[in-house]
Amino acid sequence: MNKKIWAVVSREFLTRAKTKGYIIGTLMFPVILIFLFGGIFIFGRFFQPSTQHFEVIDQTGKIFPQMVEMLSDTLKNGSLKYSFTEIDATEENLENTLEELRTKVLQKVIDGFFIIPDNILTSRQVKYSARNVSNFDDLRDIERVISKSVGNIRLENLGYSPEVIRQEMYAGYISLTSYQVTEKGEISKSGVSNFLLTYLLTYLLMLFIMIYGQAVTGSVIEEKSQRITETIISSIKPIELMMGKIVGICLLGITQLTVIGSFIILLSTYGSPALVKMGVETPKLLNIIGNLQFTPVVFAFFILYFFMGFLLYATLFAAVGSMVNTTDEGQQFLTPIIFLNIIGFFIMITVAQNPDTPAAFWASLIPFFTPSVMFARIAVSHPTLPSGAILSIFTMGISIYLIISLVAKIYRVGILMYGKKPSLKEAIKWIKYK
Amino acid sequence: MAILEVKNISKSFASLKAVDDISFSIEEGDVLGVLGPNGAGKTTMIRMIMNIIVPDNGTVTLLNSTEKSTANLIGYLPEERGIYRKMKLVNVLLFLAKLKEMKMSEAKKQIDYWLKRLDLMKWKKKKIEELSKGMQQKLQFIATILHKPKLLILDEPFLGLDPINTKLIKEIIMELKANGTTIIFSTHQMESAEKLCNKIMLINKGKQILSGKIGKVKESFGKHNIHLEYGGKDDFLKESTYIKKFDNFGNYVEIQLKDDMPSQDFLKEIVPIIQIRKFEIKEPSLNDIFIETVHSHGKEDDHE
Repeated sequence: MNKKIWAVVSREFLTRAKTKGYIIGTLMFPVILIFLFGGIFIFGRFFQPSTQHFEVIDQTGKIFPQMVEMLSDTLKNGSLKYSFTEIDATEENLENTLEELRTKVLQKVIDGFFIIPDNILTSRQVKYSARNVSNFDDLRDIERVISKSVGNIRLENLGYSPEVIRQEMYAGYISLTSYQVTEKGEISKSGVSNFLLTYLLTYLLMLFIMIYGQAVTGSVIEEKSQRITETIISSIKPIELMMGKIVGICLLGITQLTVIGSFIILLSTYGSPALVKMGVETPKLLNIIGNLQFTPVVFAFFILYFFMGFLLYATLFAAVGSMVNTTDEGQQFLTPIIFLNIIGFFIMITVAQNPDTPAAFWASLIPFFTPSVMFARIAVSHPTLPSGAILSIFTMGISIYLIISLVAKIYRVGILMYGKKPSLKEAIKWIKYK
Repeated sequence: MAILEVKNISKSFASLKAVDDISFSIEEGDVLGVLGPNGAGKTTMIRMIMNIIVPDNGTVTLLNSTEKSTANLIGYLPEERGIYRKMKLVNVLLFLAKLKEMKMSEAKKQIDYWLKRLDLMKWKKKKIEELSKGMQQKLQFIATILHKPKLLILDEPFLGLDPINTKLIKEIIMELKANGTTIIFSTHQMESAEKLCNKIMLINKGKQILSGKIGKVKESFGKHNIHLEYGGKDDFLKESTYIKKFDNFGNYVEIQLKDDMPSQDFLKEIVPIIQIRKFEIKEPSLNDIFIETVHSHGKEDDHE
């Protein structure tokens, strides 16, 4: 690269990379992830749940034994997850018994109590009372077991053997594993993980184009409003100045995205196994992350589409900066550009689910939507390359070239125009200047 | 060898003719002062020389255009000058030196030299926004001359400087001139122009109304003005056929001779009549020329 452009690139990069904001911004994502993992580890390690004590009034007399039998899971330390004690209560002393139970709950002697009514077979209602009723996972377990017992009793009443029927039902369960058909054969993959990754990455891509694109506008406005432009362009051509600016700020984005991307790769590769090794149960979220298919190829496309998308959008952002005198004036021109970006994002959400339709193909070739839509198609179809992927690199390249040539003419005139009220009409006039 | 040749350049902005058919050329080592009232077109002309704006008509040939990158051989101090406020002084200078493709080691050496010379050394690592306006002006000047340009173009170099710093900058300009640097500068300060330039050019309303070597310009204005201190009767003032007009202060008189009358003959005529204490052929100052020329052109325009 031309030495002069390189000087601009390194100035734009270094003056910003050295700021606290940028350093914090770059490290924030990894730090949040480290805290998340640390939190899961500490929580899993030191805040093991203890046995929960429940008392049960079983007016049928048939369900309590099955609850004890079927809810005999143990915790990591070997003790029971739940302990149940049956309370006898007659019609006469029921109110007194309930009062005693409530007192026990409040005194934290027990965690809660269940009342299984006599007519459970028809009413199908069980009452649970406790201080804390938000332990959904546990309650769902208990609900399932009582349901099963009630079902068993109903089957027996009809003269069937619940054991035989349950066994037959279990024997009939099947599981669906999805495989993706690729040129290299079929690959099993987790659909959820893939969508999650695609949305996350595309969101980052668009967000970064917007944030750093506006930094380009800001940088141009700074040179204009501080009257720096003329000093600079006595040494370097306006288009070189513009390109240096765009590339320098682009590198800031690429650096941050590389840090974030590397951390996602580290996390999905080593995160869950490491926690399992340390004896911590992995939450479902981590299983999803563990299934992410964030390969170096997807990563490379991610950076490539960011780079191209950035060149395209940042050139427009530079044009806006050259046309206006203050950030406020710029806002009216920035809005449509941001809107264009958001439309691309919404198209992406639909396309990610049906990446192979003709509509998806054409949408991903519209230059302003290519970065989000084509990248999403590549990420969900990985390791197969979707149709038009290579073509989109060429169409982007040509579009970027055309936009830069056009904007260079606006930029050249605009950066020396002080105090003029900006308008598109004026900018179009500038394009025609010699 | 002409370092800069400007041929018939014009530039209009909407209905305003900012620069109207200006031509001139300067040789290596020349110092050209571009004078003119506000809004005369000086900055527009300089921007066209710098190729920052393209002329509607005419051509600018810089350094014979054979040199690879003319931009690196020019030092330009624009009228609209500012600098990155958040950057450290030394980093700004290094950045501008890089834009001129200077070697880093040489740039660092030059930066230290000039910072010391202009008394900015202790601000080297400070941010620009901490500097006073005058210091920023000096910094701008350093940035302009750091890469030892062959051609220096200074648009109002003394704007915003106090008398001490103005003197310092003038000294440096004189030094650069002595080292053979070709210099163009625009200014309102006639006194500076008079001392620094060997050529001047006067622009008014976009038109070049006067240009040439400073001595010749002055001569063309000045050979008929005589300041005379005398004793004796003042009848000769009315009787002499040499005199066009005079302004008598008693023992001191300012005389303007008729156009083709040699002052030598006038002196011979008065020697026998009066006692001469002082006879001075007075060159007009640039200030006088400036005011007179602009004024008379203004009148012409009014007649149009």
